[in-house]
Amino acid sequence: MRAWQTFWSVSLVVAGGSFTLITVVVAIKGFQDLRDLFRRLRRQQDEEQ
Amino acid sequence: MATFFTYTSWGRSLGFTYLDWFIVAVYLVASVAVGLLGKRFIGKSVSHYLVAGRELGLYIGIATLAATEIGTITFMYNAELGYRYGFSAFSAALISGLAMIIVGRTGFVIRRFRELQLMTVPEYFERKYSLGLRLLTGILVALGGILNMGVFLKIEGEFLTIVSGIPTRYMVLTMTVILVLEVLYTVLGGMVSVVITDFLQYVLLSVATILVSIYAVHYAGWSNIVNKVSSTMGVAGYNPLVNPKFGAAFVIWQLLLWFSIHTCWQTTAMRMFSTKSPEISRKVMTWTGFIYLGRGMLPMLWGIAALTLFGAGAMDRGVPSPVVNGSTLAALDAMPAMLSQILRPGIKGLVVAGMLAATMSVNSSYLLGWSSILSQDVVLPMRRLLHKRPLSSRAQIVVNRVANLFVSLFLMFWGLYYTPPGAVYLYLNITGTIFLAGAFVCVTGGLYWRGANTVGGYSAMLMGAAGAIVPFFLLHSNETIAGFAAFGLAAVGLVVGSTLGRLHKPPLMSGTQGTTI
Repeated sequence: MRAWQTFWSVSLVVAGGSFTLITVVVAIKGFQDLRDLFRRLRRQQDEEQ
Repeated sequence: MATFFTYTSWGRSLGFTYLDWFIVAVYLVASVAVGLLGKRFIGKSVSHYLVAGRELGLYIGIATLAATEIGTITFMYNAELGYRYGFSAFSAALISGLAMIIVGRTGFVIRRFRELQLMTVPEYFERKYSLGLRLLTGILVALGGILNMGVFLKIEGEFLTIVSGIPTRYMVLTMTVILVLEVLYTVLGGMVSVVITDFLQYVLLSVATILVSIYAVHYAGWSNIVNKVSSTMGVAGYNPLVNPKFGAAFVIWQLLLWFSIHTCWQTTAMRMFSTKSPEISRKVMTWTGFIYLGRGMLPMLWGIAALTLFGAGAMDRGVPSPVVNGSTLAALDAMPAMLSQILRPGIKGLVVAGMLAATMSVNSSYLLGWSSILSQDVVLPMRRLLHKRPLSSRAQIVVNRVANLFVSLFLMFWGLYYTPPGAVYLYLNITGTIFLAGAFVCVTGGLYWRGANTVGGYSAMLMGAAGAIVPFFLLHSNETIAGFAAFGLAAVGLVVGSTLGRLHKPPLMSGTQGTTI
């Protein structure tokens, strides 16, 4: 049981840590992605017209 | 600080302050306003409407995929699993995350899907098999998906009423208003609106997730959590292989299920179809796999914390029922009841706004996903089978919007009144399996086995659906047996059906038989 406790504790730390880290990175860089998306969609619309 | 005093079904006044209401109101206004921006970018193109012009980059792709698959419903069923099965439940989260990382790293199915420039999963069935099989798959996918989504509203409503203290008699009204707001921007702006709001909602729901995790461990205490699981469940609370609800068969079924979800689940697949390139789709899947570990384990931890703080009632299926202020609750409601007790004013508003964000991001994506199946894979193929002229891109968008409204209406009447039997997680798994088993077998068979043909495809879809429905709904077998039956029968159906199909070569065989696409 001790081994399972350790395994799940480590898994939880990895899960919580990666969740937090990826959230921070995506929150910052996702905004730039969103602006690029708008620009490309506008260009596609212009090309269609 | 002025406070709304309201009474829940379990009889204790709960405080939701003006500050909390203000935070929630600001979020709702911002979310709808941002969502309506999307209408500017969809033009007349159906590919803009359904797959955002295939222009999603890595980070916005991660945000929209994570937001789509993390909802209040996710928090509720994972917390229930944690409450009932302790740390053993973590195995389900670990499998879902690892399967996603493997799919991302290898590009299994998703790379080929993206290269084919699909808009829906059933569209592949016409490319590989036949128009008729696309129609059958579309019907099964829409049926299973909408029934699956059907339980969301009621459970999300339970969460909101318990945490915010809104009287239960207003639950239907509250959820209807939220649904109308979601429908408003989804119908008008399609995938572009969904992606924009997903970004905002992802950030907010993630902040709420981290905050709640810190609060839960702080209040319950890590050593108390470990001691409670040990004293209540013993080794079964840690080792999934000896837990009677899990075991080796459950682990294998979950592996099959999660590989099929990450590759063939329409709302996930739509994100892969929307990325700029197959390479970006692989990276999005890989990094979101790490988020999936937290998506499962963190709310499961909240459930275990709720067991530690409130698990003092009569034993129910091996665990003590939660008792809060003298009232006994269902295991599903233990986590929101805990949040209503431990969160401070301001933080509570932030968490409820985060959960609303989670609710709206999932529901808007699912509405778009299932309505796109109805319009692209049911209505359009039926018109072609009836030899009617093809619809213009603009007409397809109109059909999709009507389908979206139809799904919303169904959810309002079905979703708010139906109560799923047993653990919600397992119910959702089995309703998804109705179409996932056949779809996954047909897709992997079609992509990686030259022998797959239309007869095999029909057999796999029908036998996979029967394998999930008959054992679970008619014979009342447990979920693992039904899951195994569904995937096993679908695989047998594809192999045997394809073999018989090659012998007889019926006229309905079309598509690209004898090749892998």
